[in-house]
Amino acid sequence: MPPKIKDAKPEAAELNRRDFLKRAGYASALALGACGLGLALYDPKGPIPVEDRKALNSLGNYALPGMAAGPGKMAIVRGTDRGLMVERGIKALGGIEAFIAKGDRVLIKVNAAFATPASLGATTHPETLAAVAGLCFKAGAAQVRVTDNPINNPGSSFEISGLADAARTAGAQLIMPQAARFTPLSLSGGRLLRHWPVMSGAFQGINKVLVVSPVKDHHHAGASMTLKNLYGFLGGRRNIFHQDINGIITELSQMLKPSLCVLDGTVSMMTNGPTGGSLSDLKETGTMVISTDPVAADAVGLELLGRTLAEVPYLQMAEKAGAGIADYHRLNPVVINGMA
Amino acid sequence: MARRKAKVGAAQRLTGYGILALLGLIALGLFIQQSRFNPAVIVALRAPDKGRPQAAAGSAPTATAALIPEVAGFTPLVPVQGFGPDTLSDKIDGKAELYLSAGFKEMSCRSFGLGGSGGAHVEVLVYDMGSPPNAYAVFSGQRRSGFPSIALTANAYATANALFFTRGKFYVEIVADRAAGTLPKSLETYAAALLAKLPPEAEAQDPAALFPPEGLARDTVRRCAADAFGCEGLHDVLTGEYRLKAGKATAFVAVRHTPAQARAEARRYLDFLAANGYRKVQAPGAPADTPVFGLDNSFEMVFVQGRTLAGVHDATSIDATLELAAKLRTGLKGKP
Repeated sequence: MPPKIKDAKPEAAELNRRDFLKRAGYASALALGACGLGLALYDPKGPIPVEDRKALNSLGNYALPGMAAGPGKMAIVRGTDRGLMVERGIKALGGIEAFIAKGDRVLIKVNAAFATPASLGATTHPETLAAVAGLCFKAGAAQVRVTDNPINNPGSSFEISGLADAARTAGAQLIMPQAARFTPLSLSGGRLLRHWPVMSGAFQGINKVLVVSPVKDHHHAGASMTLKNLYGFLGGRRNIFHQDINGIITELSQMLKPSLCVLDGTVSMMTNGPTGGSLSDLKETGTMVISTDPVAADAVGLELLGRTLAEVPYLQMAEKAGAGIADYHRLNPVVINGMA
Repeated sequence: MARRKAKVGAAQRLTGYGILALLGLIALGLFIQQSRFNPAVIVALRAPDKGRPQAAAGSAPTATAALIPEVAGFTPLVPVQGFGPDTLSDKIDGKAELYLSAGFKEMSCRSFGLGGSGGAHVEVLVYDMGSPPNAYAVFSGQRRSGFPSIALTANAYATANALFFTRGKFYVEIVADRAAGTLPKSLETYAAALLAKLPPEAEAQDPAALFPPEGLARDTVRRCAADAFGCEGLHDVLTGEYRLKAGKATAFVAVRHTPAQARAEARRYLDFLAANGYRKVQAPGAPADTPVFGLDNSFEMVFVQGRTLAGVHDATSIDATLELAAKLRTGLKGKP
């Protein structure tokens, strides 16, 4: 029997041309296969939009043409009487006629998020809504609509907050968030707002948009004021956007350019927002801000809350996106003190 | 015929392994990156057709619904509403994060009218937080300053228009829309009826017991369930605010399963401080192994005793930092 040859190995040889070509061929096939697989899985169009519906790319630009160039206008009114403060602030910016013309059809976006009484400060105050709606009619507006898509039950939210009564008394029409009023929107250049339902039905025939908001602490966003109020135009399971709260508010600032913003800091919710609950969460901050620039208006609100721009990143992000100016002093605001 | 094997040199082999390692790292990087989904993708994939799924919110059956009593004088305005982890934000929006991070299970609420037409609007909210520490976390996390504790339960206080308390794993809010003369009495009456429906409180550990009492404002003792002081991953930390001769400071204590875990979290918190600009400062009298860190006029100290991570946060002076740290060390002796 022949002896076993231990550890017999094939003869080693230098890498020849044939081996090299073989290996290069395998490697190329593998690389091509991986590229092909990637190409096969790549979806250049992204998720498919809801069938038979054309997605909007914004809710519109309602900024007044004469005010589009340069910094916007702003009035800061100190006092306690909401109606008087709104009136004087708008007068200081040229009067309501500078914003609302005879025959205009106006949409007022309020914050009616919660079914809580106005005294708890979690919603737009009905006195402020009444003052703004009243001025619109005084200027000859053909129609004034009031809307929001509240977090709580819409009917209860509008009724318990007193906003429904204020709208009715002023002669304004309430636009409730019925499913038929929502259409998908894909914001131009948007990262989050893709084929997302928004309450576009409230805008039919509208040529001016006013945003009337309270000043509130917000546990997640840092503050809830004008820009955060635009969240109320979104439908669907919008709480998913809480994962990127600064990103979504920045996109909201691109989704709609309002004609005028009224930020009510007569009483501000300093802690435990956005719902509050205790009257001790509120503080009399005695300020009404009227501005064509939502970012600048919110920057004033931030001061009322005792916060800095660094603590609420979305304002500077919205500024970078071109929604307004965070340094509100650059608007040379008209300051009116001592309104009763 | 035996297959010919090409001779590969050491340098070639090394280069080959290097390329394979690089490819492996790229694959790992891609895997990690892909596992962190951009919200935009999630949003796009789940975009709903309809505008208001919220319309259905509040109708979920919840066990806490049975705990909300009907009391004479309190007229129900709506049926009881129930919310779970997926729908809580439909009731309290952005504040839901506070509850969810503290172990929220479910909540029921109901609105009442008090005192007939034109009377007060009262809302009662009962949260099941899963455990007494979780209930204490949301109670203390929202505690309004300037309102002392009341004897209603072990953890309870009243403001001009509202009552807030815990009982076992439940956190309760009874909120009126105004502060009227007889209202506090009415709210207490309702609270008593509600407490009668809750299981009796077991012997609960006083969260303040871990803190030295001298200089402590007892009503400021809080349990932070997640990301204490903004430090990601620093969970379940008790804090208490002190007024000392040398200034103000906050003490913190976190009991961990093992000393090694406590030490690891101490290192993580120190790294967090360093990343935010805190640097070691000269502090005569400080123990060599526990330096004081400072940024502007805010000072921090971190130490580990057994399986307890503890320290001083946001002290207004070095002296206050050292004083409180010494008291805390002494107070923690013999504790976990």
